[in-house]
Order: sequence, then C-alpha cells, then structure tokens
Amino acid sequence: MKTWESLEDFEAFVIDGGIVEPSDEMPDVYRLAVFKFIELHANSEYMGGLTERDWIPKAPGLHRKLTALAKTQDEIGHAHLLYMIAADLGVKTRDEMMEDLLAGTTNFHNVFHYRVHSWGDQVAVAYLVDAAALASQQAVFKNCSYGPYKRILRRVIAEEGFHMRNGEELLLTMASGTDLQRTMMQDSINRWWLPAIQLFGPDSRLDDPLLRWNIKSERNEVLRDRYIQKFVPQLLNAGFQVPDSGLYQDSETGRWCTSDIDWEPLKATMRNGGPDSKRRLSDAKAAWEDASWVRDALDEVVISK
Amino acid sequence: MLKAVRDAVAKVTDPEYPEVTIEQLGILERVFSSGESICIDLVPTRSGCPALEIIRTDVLAAAKDVGATSVSVKFCSDPVWTPDRITEDARRILAREFFVVIRNVDGSSKCPMCENSELENRSDVGSTPCRSVSWCAECRNPIEVIRR
Repeated sequence: MKTWESLEDFEAFVIDGGIVEPSDEMPDVYRLAVFKFIELHANSEYMGGLTERDWIPKAPGLHRKLTALAKTQDEIGHAHLLYMIAADLGVKTRDEMMEDLLAGTTNFHNVFHYRVHSWGDQVAVAYLVDAAALASQQAVFKNCSYGPYKRILRRVIAEEGFHMRNGEELLLTMASGTDLQRTMMQDSINRWWLPAIQLFGPDSRLDDPLLRWNIKSERNEVLRDRYIQKFVPQLLNAGFQVPDSGLYQDSETGRWCTSDIDWEPLKATMRNGGPDSKRRLSDAKAAWEDASWVRDALDEVVISK
Repeated sequence: MLKAVRDAVAKVTDPEYPEVTIEQLGILERVFSSGESICIDLVPTRSGCPALEIIRTDVLAAAKDVGATSVSVKFCSDPVWTPDRITEDARRILAREFFVVIRNVDGSSKCPMCENSELENRSDVGSTPCRSVSWCAECRNPIEVIRR
C-alpha cells in the first residue's frame, strides 16, 4: 500500500508515471475524479450496448445480426468490468450507479442522446462514433494512472478496434451500393458528423485536473483535431461529403479546418436534455425492469450454491 | 508454396488479441494441398464467434500475399476447440498483456496479477461468449477467464 504525505507528493508520483492501485491511500479529490470518469465511461458503454441491441433484429442479414449481437455483448461486458472497478472505489455501490443513471441524475456520452433513425445511422455510429470513442479511450490508456482502469482499457481497446474494422466494412458496403444507399448514408453522415466530433468535448481547460493526474493524457482539442484530419479525407475518398459549409483545406499545411463549434447544445445534451435523451432513458429503465426476473433468478442460484 | 502459405497463415493474429496468433490459440488446424488448391482448416473457439469472418478474410489475404491463387478456408466442427489448444507462450501473453487467464480442468483459475487462486466468479459470461468474469479480492482487479 502506497501513501503520500501531501497532494503535491501524490501529484509528483503520478506525473512521474506512477500507477495508483486500489489499496493505496489516494487523495479524496483523485478518488472522486477517477470514479466519476469511470462511471461516465461505464454508463456510456451500457447505453451504447442498449442502442446496439435495438439493431439485432433489424440489421440486414444473419451475419450483421450476429455482429450486432456480439457488439452488444462486448459493450455490456465492458460496462460490467467498469462498474466493478468503479464500485470498488467506494464512492457509490453498483446499484446506486444504476439507480442514478436510470433516474437521469448522472451522465453518459453525448452520442447516445440521439435517435438512430435508419440502418445508415447505425453504420454512421459504427464508423464515426465508435472510432471517436476508440481514439479517446486510447488516449486515456496511454498514460492512465489508475491501474485497474488501465488494465481494463487494454482489453476494451482491443475489442473496440474490432468494432472499428466492422464500421469501415459497413461504410464501404454502403459507399459501393446503389444511389439510394449512398443517399441514405450521406443523410446519416450529415446527422452524425457533429455529434461524433463533439464526443471529444470542448477545448480542455488549462488546469484540467484529469490531465494533471494522468487520468487523461491528451487535450480534447488535440484528439478532436487528429480525428478530423483522419476522417475528413476518408469520407471524401469514399465519395461522401462532410456536412460543414465552413470546411476548407489549408493550402500551405494541408490541414483540414472546420467551422467553430457551438458547444451550448452539448451542455444541455449532457444534462440529459438531448434530442432523444428521454426515450433513451425510458428504454433503459424498461430493459432494467424487464430483466429483473433474471437478476432474481441468478441471486437464487448464488444463494443455493 | 505449401510451406510458404503455412508460415504466412500461422502469423495471422487474432482480431481481439492483436499480439497472439491463430496458431498459438490453436485455431489453425492444418494446411494441405488438394489438386491445384491449398486448403486451410481452422477450428473455431466457439461456433457462433463473431470474429470468424474476419479471421477467414485475414487468412485468405495472408495466403494470397505469398502468391497462392486458389485457396479454400474451412471452419471444422471436428476436432472441437478447447483451451488446452492454447500454447504456453500465448498463455503468458494473454495473462501479461490482457489479464486474461485460462480456467484449469478442475475449474480453478489464478489471478495473473497477484497469483491469488481464490477468484470470485462474478458472471458466467463476459464481453465474449468464450470468457467469464471473476474478481480478485486480493489485488482488486476484474479478471477475465477463458471458459472450458
């Protein structure tokens, strides 16, 4: 068990690349920050799993249904692992985290506050959103100071990489489809481009403690820009347009520059006031209640063991 | 040609464990000639595994990369895959890099972090059908266990 004399000592340890373990006497501010970060991640995996689940019966063809099933299991499995380490931090129990999520008093990522209208939307989510989520998880993994979280991220990233390949394959299938399919895909890209780049959040504050404590390793704007530089040319090469009238390529540097983003709507979205937040939460609640008999049955099995 | 294809295919890595090859996981069963074609038999870890199509694509690409023109890839139902087919090297990588361990024949398993052998089962199925989830109360890490 490690202990530190002061917050300054602790910060020096973490900045030096030190890894904090659950039994260490970490400062309360760090415990709370790492807890909130993992809770948000867990909630997002859970809500993402429920979205994916909606597409198991609707995905075109057996192979894609199987993939939707596997991705649902992945997301819920990730949420399970994350809720375990979040609960272990002793701030809230797992039941309390579920209650808060379903009551709408805690948060989940912006991208799960929108409606997935069509198969094209589902492909846009798989291609644009999964890649944005993966990029931000990779950045957390790189220098993550909380040991159990870093270990889970290793597996989460390997599995999300597999989702990203799936997203690329789905997009290329749509890109090489009929005019109707390409139009459907472009409509979906128009809907999902902004939520995807907003996933990285507004520019990081200069004194962001998450960066100082190596919970995050890169600034939001750096991650967002890297994503834009990669995905603008990919979309254009696949024959799609990027829905940003202010987009241009700097002729000297070759870099893609986007319009300024209005962050006000994101703030409301993150407070569960997004376009589809209410329905998403009521669906999550219904799923939780529908599955109560499974939890009860499992509890009985455990007790009888 | 047969040897070149065999060597290339053996290096194909698993889609979910990028540091481990399909040969080390015991997925690659055999590579043989049949007339003009090269046949590759693979053993799926689970018949409904969603990664099978990706593995098939990667295996075909690896064979074509070394010049094979007529290749057929088949997933066999016999033999049946068990975790005993995973090599020692792969077990070390899985434990060290991914904190994934393999359930022993007697049902026990050991924490790859602290060697604690009293893991608590938390879920019979984890993020994939081939893994369950345990909790190590010693080092307080969730551990995924490859099922039998």
